[in-house]
Amino acid sequence: MDDEEEQQKLPDLVKALIHHLLSQNLPPNSQPLNPNSSQFQNSLRYAHRILTSHLTPSITPDAAAIAESIKRRLATEGRSSEALSFADLYTKFASKATDVDNKWALLHLFNIISQDRKPAVNSQSRLDASMLLPNLTISDNNVRRRIENKGWEDGVVVLGRDPRNRREVAFGEYVKLVKEENDVTEEAMVTDVLYACQGVDGKYVKFDNENNDYVFLDSIRVSRATTSMVHKLCGLGVLFKRVIGYIDQSLGRSPVEDVGTVGQAFCSALQDELSDYYKLLAVLEAQSSNPIPLLSETVSSENYLSLRRLANWLAEPLVKMRLMADLVDKCRVLRGGAMAGAIHLHARHGDPMVHEFMKRLLQRVCSPLFEIVRRWVLEGELEDIFSEFFIVGQPVKAESLWREGYRLHDAMLPSFISASLAQRILRTGKSINFLRVCCEDRGWARAATEVATDTGATARRGGFGYGETDTLESLVDEASKRIDKHLLDVIYERYKFKEHCLAIKQYLLLGQGDFVQYLMDIVGPELSVPANTISSFKLAGLLETAIRASNAQYDDPDILDRLRVKMMPHESGDRGWDVFSLAYDARVPLDTVFTESVMARYLRIFNFLWKLKRVEHALIGAWKTMKPNCITSNSFNRLQGAVKMQLVSALRRCQVLWVEINHFISNLQYYIMFEVLEISWSNFLSEMEVAKDLDDLLAAHEKYMNSIVEKSLLGELSQSLYKSLIVIFDLILRFRSHADILYEGIHELQARITESSLSSRDQKKTRKQLNDKSAEEGSWIADGRKALTQRAGEFLCKMEQDLDAISKEYSSLQEEFISQLPVQQHVDLKFLFFRLDFNEFYRRVVS
Amino acid sequence: MPREIITLQVGQCGNQIGMEFWKQLCLEHGISKDGILEDFATQGGDRKDVFFYQADDQHYIPRALLIDLEPRVINGIQNSDYRNLYNHENIFVSDHGGGAGNNWASGYHQGKNVEEDIMDMIDREADGSDSLEGFVLCHSIAGGTGSGMGSYLLETLNDRYSKKLVQTYSVFPNQMETSDVVVQPYNSLLTLKRLTLNADCVVVLDNTALNRIAVERLHLSNPTFAQTNSLVSTVMSASTTTLRYPGYMNNDLVGLLASLIPTPRCHFLMTGYTPLTVERQANVIRKTTVLDVMRRLLQAKNIMVSSYARTKDASQAKYISILNIIQGEVDPTQVHESLQRIRERKLVNFIEWGPASIQVALSRKSPYVQTAHRVSGLMLASHTSIRHLFSKCLSQYDKLRRKQAFLDNYRKFPMFADNDLSEFDESREIIENLVDEYKACESPDYIKWGMEDPNNMMTGEGNAAGSLDPKSVV
Repeated sequence: MDDEEEQQKLPDLVKALIHHLLSQNLPPNSQPLNPNSSQFQNSLRYAHRILTSHLTPSITPDAAAIAESIKRRLATEGRSSEALSFADLYTKFASKATDVDNKWALLHLFNIISQDRKPAVNSQSRLDASMLLPNLTISDNNVRRRIENKGWEDGVVVLGRDPRNRREVAFGEYVKLVKEENDVTEEAMVTDVLYACQGVDGKYVKFDNENNDYVFLDSIRVSRATTSMVHKLCGLGVLFKRVIGYIDQSLGRSPVEDVGTVGQAFCSALQDELSDYYKLLAVLEAQSSNPIPLLSETVSSENYLSLRRLANWLAEPLVKMRLMADLVDKCRVLRGGAMAGAIHLHARHGDPMVHEFMKRLLQRVCSPLFEIVRRWVLEGELEDIFSEFFIVGQPVKAESLWREGYRLHDAMLPSFISASLAQRILRTGKSINFLRVCCEDRGWARAATEVATDTGATARRGGFGYGETDTLESLVDEASKRIDKHLLDVIYERYKFKEHCLAIKQYLLLGQGDFVQYLMDIVGPELSVPANTISSFKLAGLLETAIRASNAQYDDPDILDRLRVKMMPHESGDRGWDVFSLAYDARVPLDTVFTESVMARYLRIFNFLWKLKRVEHALIGAWKTMKPNCITSNSFNRLQGAVKMQLVSALRRCQVLWVEINHFISNLQYYIMFEVLEISWSNFLSEMEVAKDLDDLLAAHEKYMNSIVEKSLLGELSQSLYKSLIVIFDLILRFRSHADILYEGIHELQARITESSLSSRDQKKTRKQLNDKSAEEGSWIADGRKALTQRAGEFLCKMEQDLDAISKEYSSLQEEFISQLPVQQHVDLKFLFFRLDFNEFYRRVVS
Repeated sequence: MPREIITLQVGQCGNQIGMEFWKQLCLEHGISKDGILEDFATQGGDRKDVFFYQADDQHYIPRALLIDLEPRVINGIQNSDYRNLYNHENIFVSDHGGGAGNNWASGYHQGKNVEEDIMDMIDREADGSDSLEGFVLCHSIAGGTGSGMGSYLLETLNDRYSKKLVQTYSVFPNQMETSDVVVQPYNSLLTLKRLTLNADCVVVLDNTALNRIAVERLHLSNPTFAQTNSLVSTVMSASTTTLRYPGYMNNDLVGLLASLIPTPRCHFLMTGYTPLTVERQANVIRKTTVLDVMRRLLQAKNIMVSSYARTKDASQAKYISILNIIQGEVDPTQVHESLQRIRERKLVNFIEWGPASIQVALSRKSPYVQTAHRVSGLMLASHTSIRHLFSKCLSQYDKLRRKQAFLDNYRKFPMFADNDLSEFDESREIIENLVDEYKACESPDYIKWGMEDPNNMMTGEGNAAGSLDPKSVV
């Protein structure tokens, strides 16, 4: 209430003061002062302006100092007695007048009044001349105001100054000219511009939708300079309209999804900037109608805000607004990370003002984004309801979670986050999700907490923002390091990755030789039938038997449990050998590494190695039939010379061919073992050691697989080699059956001879005594024996021919194979080549 | 189906080296002297059931038959720390205990008489195996029991178990010292015939070379039998590592031997081992790399068969096959490099009539046996220079035979009754033929060997023509 009264009282007091001053100054013969007269009103307004102005004197607010200076001035003017009395008065004033606050101001006022009085008296005549200017609103410039104060002389204040030079006069002339040229006063234009700046049509300046610009009404005559000035200023309004239009549009849109949190943050940041702008406009508007608060009223005959002033005032807002409008245009169709990225493109600006502005803006815009990053990296939550984040998740099965569950959405990746950082961010969150979903692990939470404590405050919600990419990076680094390590620990220790890899190597890549051997022994006979007649159930039983019979039985039951028989898809005509395979059930989470396609490749490798083993098995079998002590009898000596030669020759042929084939197969196996499996494995192991995250591990495994596939000639580029190898394998199996037939025949022959020799033992003795040199002619040989010999001869002859044919075929096949080796560009087969011809046998044969 | 191998230890020497072999296997598999698995032996990965079987009480029992005609050595075993290791049913000592008197014929004949008992034991062991791979015979060829009875067993096994492998570890007598067994050349010759005809693989352990190695390599001035036998057991256990520690290749005996013995008759293998240590030297550590090991294995001084070849012949000698079994921590890439070096420097002379190469098997080392060396290697090789060892046997036999010395001891037995010494001649024939075949292997024309003259039936397929007068051939 007091305040209100006070406020009421204050204008009344001012009015009274003006009245007092004016009436004092009135010429003695005039009528009493009319409070409604323009003169009075003008004076009143002027007084208001003075009172509201913030003009400050250029002196220090120190009462003692002012008093001292007054004293000194009086003394120098030779009025030492006045100086003394002043000093006396001042001490009294300073000590007694405790309720006066601004002592220094009072002193200063008195000082100024006393100083002003003297020149004001002298310049009386010139002041009158200034009255000639018609457009000066304050025409009562020669008012003399007396201020009465206790014990002091009346003081006269003269406000205003004499226009000493002609420039001011010229300016006045110019203003007049401008007024004449324009239909509209500058005041009105300023008002209109201010309206336009708020996106509102003014009286003369309207928004033209066609040109998307503010233009003067056609009927108005305005000078070109003014038009361009106004146009320039109104540009701000156009920009403003764009910005505000965007904001309204964004916030007004009903599905929030279209805007997203980043968009919202952007709008809110824009709104904040705009509210600053509104503030400025409000001030300008308030000022627009006020005259310039100058001491002299002579020149500043216009309102405070001219168009030029306005241009000055609005220069900075214009830059900002243009920037905002630009951003708004750029971001109109963008969302989320893409929006942040687009805004970021404008951030690199040399102008510190712009830079500062952009930074402020980006901090606001990015904060939702960074919050998503934080939650993703530390909690694995993809809290991205409006899909604005640069990581996109999709629902997938557990086994493909790692590979396909999440991916980078490049369009949403703001450019201030580097691709590698984005990868790390992606991986960290993915690791957490992988741990949670596939490994059913909770330990990651501890790791994440450690990260949070270690990186400290920054990890708190909204703790970091744009411009702190380093902090972000260190957080991500720290988090990824720990989470990845934890993930690898889980994979290695809880899920025994290494053990499973080894198991695959042992069983699928035939490393566990004894197991493979038994499997070959018992499964082999089953596989010669057409593929579609094979019962995989039975094979599974045989697999079990092989496990029980071999050292595999001591392996981890969990591992053995995963070993399966698998029939590869077969076509008609395929034999069991073509389709039989072992499979390994990797299970979650290891199926991320051993995906179906990886397992399919393992199957192919297995199938190849299995075929190779089969051939080796066949060769060993052949050796067993022709092993050293199998032909013990001397009875062949009794055969006819020619037949015996045939026998020896057939056997030798068979043995030598066996040597050659065995050499080929065993060196191929050595190659597979040393150059392919073991080396790839040891490389894989060492890469496993240094792997820092699951991606590294996957890459290492991929490399391992590829190296095996390529080197064991299963790759795309080695198809012709592989084919010729398979042909050789088939030939070897044919050789084996021929060798079996040969030896069977020989054994039969042997048995027959033994039989007949037993029966003719007596004859022999007789013959021995006779010492018949022509025994070879067979005079003593019975007809049966003759027939036997003949049959044997035919048999051996045929066998030898067959072996010859096989031998020839084999030579040409092998030559073809070997000749292809050096031209293989993609794999290094030197070792195989060098092994196959270790003693330079083939080189000699060729030369 | 562990591809079981039954070991037959025949005679004094056979039992001695057999005993050392089992000691070594027990150490490597972590089996105590009583046949019980040690507490620390949990690492697994090894196949014990190739050579052992488990009794009802979990004891590991060697698949071994201990056979002798005199009780001394076997009694020694039965009184040793290892007495509880063996199955007592598998020990055969002849009732009279008189031995064979260093007479091959006596051993052979006695073998014939106790055939039933021994074959019962063998059959029992064979029945106890799921998939019997074969037999290993340990014996010496010079004495009476190991050579004579061993010969008889070889023939019987060949007859009864013709599908199974028969491998022998045959100790050849020391040719440098005058032996106390004067009839050693006769015994050797007669045994060699069986080794040629009835065995699938003979690992030749030459006492001369073993002694030399003990003196030169191990710096033992006067090596004892125990020391040379430990060399033998080292070789025997090393040659079976791939069977006992399964890997990608060479997991069974037949697979191991098939590549080593490309031609049936040339099935006599030499061995080499490096680095050799005896217990007191175990602290000597040398750097061993795969290349070092493979190179040393090719040096004659590390070969456990003496070379009696003259220089000219030695330069002609060729490897028919080589298998190096490398044990220890081996980087597989080193194998390739080593092979390349060996070929570049032409350290190996291979046959020319067919492709051949050094085969390398990598095998694990027993985790329970500490060795000073990171890498050790065993070489099994078929080398044509072994013919000189047989030639030496032949020449010694010829010397003795010319004098008609000591033949009476043999005539006492049925085989040589009625002064029928054709067995000697036949044996000589076969050995000579063997020597020829080895010699033929040194030439590139081996394939055609024996076929030039149809009337001269020098073939590898047993041309000991009973119907021909041996004299006319010799």
